[in-house]
Amino acid sequence: MNKTIHPIEPEELMAYLDGELTSDRATATAAHLGECVECQGLAAELRSVSQNLKAWKAEPSKSTTPPAIAAALAENRPASRDAFPAPQRSWREVLGQHWPTVAWAGTAAAVLIVVFGAVRFIGSNANNVFSQVGSQMENSDSDRNRLAASLPPPSPPSAAPVNGREFKQLVQLSPGVVQANQSVTEHGLVENGPMIIRTAQLSVITKEFDKARANLEAILKRHRGYVGELKANDTTGSGRTLTATLRVPADQLDATLTEVKALGRVESESQSGQDVTSQYVDLQARLANARNTEQRLTDLLRNRTGKLSDVLEVEQELDRVRGQIEQMEAERKTMANQVSYATLNATISEDYKAQLQVVPPSTATRLSNAAVDGYRSMVDGVLSLALFLLSNGPSLLLWGAILFMPARFVWKKARRSLAS
Amino acid sequence: MAADLAEIRTISDETLMLEFQGGSHPAFEQLFARYHGPLYGFFRRRLNGDQRAEDLTQETFLAVIRGADRYTPSALLRTYLYGIAMNLLAAERRKRAKDSPQGKEAPEPATREAPDSVLWTRQALEKLDDSEREILMLREYEQLSYAEIADLQNLPVNTVRSRLFRARMALKEHLEPAPKTPETAAASESRENRGLTRAEGEAI
Repeated sequence: MNKTIHPIEPEELMAYLDGELTSDRATATAAHLGECVECQGLAAELRSVSQNLKAWKAEPSKSTTPPAIAAALAENRPASRDAFPAPQRSWREVLGQHWPTVAWAGTAAAVLIVVFGAVRFIGSNANNVFSQVGSQMENSDSDRNRLAASLPPPSPPSAAPVNGREFKQLVQLSPGVVQANQSVTEHGLVENGPMIIRTAQLSVITKEFDKARANLEAILKRHRGYVGELKANDTTGSGRTLTATLRVPADQLDATLTEVKALGRVESESQSGQDVTSQYVDLQARLANARNTEQRLTDLLRNRTGKLSDVLEVEQELDRVRGQIEQMEAERKTMANQVSYATLNATISEDYKAQLQVVPPSTATRLSNAAVDGYRSMVDGVLSLALFLLSNGPSLLLWGAILFMPARFVWKKARRSLAS
Repeated sequence: MAADLAEIRTISDETLMLEFQGGSHPAFEQLFARYHGPLYGFFRRRLNGDQRAEDLTQETFLAVIRGADRYTPSALLRTYLYGIAMNLLAAERRKRAKDSPQGKEAPEPATREAPDSVLWTRQALEKLDDSEREILMLREYEQLSYAEIADLQNLPVNTVRSRLFRARMALKEHLEPAPKTPETAAASESRENRGLTRAEGEAI
């Protein structure tokens, strides 16, 4: 029962079963496993744990709807393919897994496209019928939605399930494609490359402040930028300063920086870039997702009848989803704006020269000033004498009294010696 | 086209991804066919409600499409995909935690067809420590290698191995709470002790 009996650690045994050991260790383990009953027991336990876990199968996804993905593919490589063949191809691929005859599915899809096209021309009523079929199929596909589950049970999907699924995909396809086109036109520029929020900071000292300020505005105009915030200071005893937050199109930032630098002597400069591509992609995915949910809920509301409380619940859910969409949309716009417009924090300060104030005051003022000064110094003199006497008089008297006799004695002695 | 498809099925994930970067749509569709099911299972087992599982699976692929230019074949595509999936899952869990602060997730409704043994297994899994459960699930359901799990979880391979072992032993305990006969109890106990000393030794 100790390690001398087991040259193999239990973990190693597990790794062996997982096929994670190097070949020499694996050979040693296999040899030991052949003769050690206890380790065989452990191996059996490990295998049974794995088997227990394997029993939990995630039922394969029944909805094979990649319209969003197909649209994204088309959007990603607009040059290579237009929007429609890609979804058809990928369906065929997925369909190929479920039905052996790929061609059959292709034919069915073609027929359905024709039917769908005709239906669209006929009008919206017929369209509703189709989306109803679609949403029913969707609900029966999976017990995905507690709202859906609380509504009356959908009709059994047994009748032509393939067709039903096809309808749903077609019905769902149209909003997806429209969305994709919108996003291309809205921000076709930023979509492809990395998305970077650029920020620059620049501090310039100039001798001609007014000219620099005017130039700054001209530069901004030339590069189609705008002032986010501007603060000008003119405090006495120092030069004027201008602090501005400027927003310029990202591709114009370098040119703008160069021109602003030419306004004077650069005191400090810094630039930074923050990559938000993944955030943006994530946001877009969530947005697309929320839009799909909204679409589904709208269909549900339009096509299903149920108890009033159920309808209210669906409406509440719809409100919530729409709120989310608004919020994410705003977030996305802010981010796109930050990316397409770089931020430049510019500080322009004036090279300050201290100046002498040489304005001569008038004679009358000077006379009156002199008179006031004279009076003031007279009063000050009297006052300070009085103060001196008051504060020192007593001690002077005392010392005078003490020193009077010796001083008289010395004085007399001096006179006597002079006389003699 | 059928010949193309047959040919494409034998190509490695990474090559397919590189071809997709070069603009090949069939390559991506092959990747989709390969990983749609596994990714769906990944989300399905970790979240309640398969609607979100399907959505998140699609989001994962959308992220792949949009980030295709940034993919470099330094890591296995599988790890890359599950890395994205993990991030999406974490975001989804955060969102759920925010939406329902009491933190009580709605119980999974789709258990009609599930046999009891599966319920047992799932309950036992729930009892595991978060990190151990994740490692165990990545190994058993996603069939990732120790190194791939280590990569995804930002852990040393040895830690992955010891946690996996602990998780399996703990799961076995949860799965068979029935009283044991003394000798098997002693045997399994001694094995667990060996496992524990090993784990502790590593911790120190």
